[in-house]
Amino acid sequence: MISILSAKFRLFLRNPWMVIIMSIVCIAMASIIGASSEKKIKVPVASTLASHETNELLQSLNKSPSFRFELMEKSKMHTLVEEGKVEAGIELSNHDFTLLITSQTGNTFFLRQYVQKVYSEKEQANAIATHAHIPVEKAIHIVNEAKEHPAFTVKTMNFRGKHAAIIDSQMQPIFGFSLFFVIYTVAFQVLQLLKEKREGVWNRMILSRLKKWEIYTGNLLYSFMIGYLQIVLIFSVFRFGLGIRFHGQFAELLILLVPYVFSIVAFSMLLVGLVKNEQQFQALISLLAVSMAMIGGAYWPLEIVSSNVLLALAKIVPLTYGMELLKGAAVYGRSITELLYPMSILFFMGVVFMGIGINLVERKNS
Amino acid sequence: MLEAVELTKQFKQTKAVDRVNLYLEQGEIVGLLGPNGAGKSTTISMLSTLIPPSSGDVRFHQKSTLKNPAMLRNALGIVPQELALYSDLSAKENLRFFGSIHRLSGAQLQKKVEEVLALIGLTDRQNDLVKHFSGGMKRRLNIGAALLHEPKLLIMDEPTVGIDPQSRNYILETVKRLNEEKQMTVLYTSHYMEEVEFLCDRIYIMDKGCIIASGTTNEIKNILSAEHTVEIKVEKLTEPFLHALHAQPVIRHIAVQDRVITMLSPKEVNIFRLLFQLAEQTDTVLMSIEMKTPTLEDVFLHLTGRALRD
Ligand SMILES: Nc1ncnc2c1ncn2[C@@H]1O[C@H](COP(=O)(O)OP(=O)(O)O)[C@@H](O)[C@H]1O
Ligand SMILES: [Mg+2]
Repeated sequence: MISILSAKFRLFLRNPWMVIIMSIVCIAMASIIGASSEKKIKVPVASTLASHETNELLQSLNKSPSFRFELMEKSKMHTLVEEGKVEAGIELSNHDFTLLITSQTGNTFFLRQYVQKVYSEKEQANAIATHAHIPVEKAIHIVNEAKEHPAFTVKTMNFRGKHAAIIDSQMQPIFGFSLFFVIYTVAFQVLQLLKEKREGVWNRMILSRLKKWEIYTGNLLYSFMIGYLQIVLIFSVFRFGLGIRFHGQFAELLILLVPYVFSIVAFSMLLVGLVKNEQQFQALISLLAVSMAMIGGAYWPLEIVSSNVLLALAKIVPLTYGMELLKGAAVYGRSITELLYPMSILFFMGVVFMGIGINLVERKNS
Repeated sequence: MLEAVELTKQFKQTKAVDRVNLYLEQGEIVGLLGPNGAGKSTTISMLSTLIPPSSGDVRFHQKSTLKNPAMLRNALGIVPQELALYSDLSAKENLRFFGSIHRLSGAQLQKKVEEVLALIGLTDRQNDLVKHFSGGMKRRLNIGAALLHEPKLLIMDEPTVGIDPQSRNYILETVKRLNEEKQMTVLYTSHYMEEVEFLCDRIYIMDKGCIIASGTTNEIKNILSAEHTVEIKVEKLTEPFLHALHAQPVIRHIAVQDRVITMLSPKEVNIFRLLFQLAEQTDTVLMSIEMKTPTLEDVFLHLTGRALRD
């Protein structure tokens, strides 16, 4: 087994470019997308309300960390939206608002959610004021007080609980792209197994003194190590090159990546067992990697997905649990023991995939 | 030493190997000759325990290897039809790897690698990457990779396909040397009859999954011994002469190419006298008459009605 590993690493050192290029592309994409969603998004606002009410509402709205609301004439707001200069515009009225959009995007979704929230708080305060016969300002104050010192806390364990949803627009693309790109790197390494079978290197190993398990372990362990190396490289560039602190969870994240990369190695092994040749494998992996990335929440956070079908599909995709682990630790601040569940699912998937994959490959020989 | 008994392999649609019986004695070079698709590689895969036969048995020193392949595997060196090498490693690194999987290490591994490099004539190029090698050099390395653990039995699957004549001769000489100096037993597969004729003590001819002839080179050629192949050259080809040839019941398979006429005739007929007679009668001038001994190619043609090479 050592002989396999050392030969493979020799091969890798001779040609490390695939991993390096993959890492660079991944880092570039994650930084670009992370940076573009960092800035506040400008939202033009027109209003039919009286000016002091408009101002009050604008003040509340502008507390958002993601959006910057700008008051303007209704016609100007319309033009901006129509010309595509902004993603959305809002027209404020007394009890509700109109959202003007040209296309539904993740941002418009959040915008709607956010404005709705501000409105319902305003309505809440108004209702309290009317019932308690106190001025509206005081009612708002009470509502805010209540929010800051809640009588009881609800701790939501479910990641998709509406209350617990936090979108970290900097972590999301780093995690998403890392987990996505590593699928290609790992799959490419596992694919070498098919190539070695076709060319006969595999037969030479079978006829040698190596045991069967050594051959599989050598190959798969190597694939794992290369995949893991790539993610560590990417995370390290962000951590030490770009100074991103991962909310102080850098070491935990590296540990949490182990079950994910393992499950991807196993998934690739399953694929090797299922396909007839290398071309099929390559076609399938491109398709599956992209689908898994979409379903598993690598491109956009699962928190904004509402389709039950997609959410159910996500449950069988390893990438979902990989994201859950990374976000769990970095964004939601959970400890590793709290994340045992997704970890064990990944290990379980890995063992099952690998078992079936190796069995299929062995059966093909006879 | 090694023996195949009624060896059969049925793939989904094709019966690639059909009740093949063959054996190798210690120290022999045995040829397995047949056109592409004859089932040679499949036979070899079963002989070397890489795929299980559909039926039949492979015996090594009289013991079945189906359940217990280890003994045969340890004695076996295999040269696959494809180049089974890492093309991004150097020749030396490849040999070191294929030696190490046979549990060679340290000084012993070093010594064997140097020895094999010398044998296959790649000592000067040992540090070059395989992907920069010529076809012939890759083929030589492909053979070298099978020799590190000093196998008693070497099975080679078309080891000279697609290379220059020089490399080919080198390989043939190397196989001869291994056999003579190290008493290595060799099963040599090819669709080139000259190679098999040059190397082998005994030959099996295979076609469509079956062994259609076997024996020493001479024994096989004697299949055609009842007939001569006669080739004559005439000054000018005339219709009456051809007609006269065709009219003779003892002359068969007449083929004409320019002024050369080839035919088969039984040995007991005095073909010279007959040809002179016919020539005189039809005013034809004979330039030459040649009696040819049959080649393995002719045997294959005789047995199957097809040429060995397509
Ligand atoms: N794995 C396989 N599955 C199905 N058919 C095969 C397989 N391997 C070989 N064959 C078929 O068996 C026949 C013999 O092939 P092979 O043993 O490679 O011939 P040769 O080595 O003499 O050229 C061919 O018709 C080939 O298509
Ligand atoms: Mg073949």
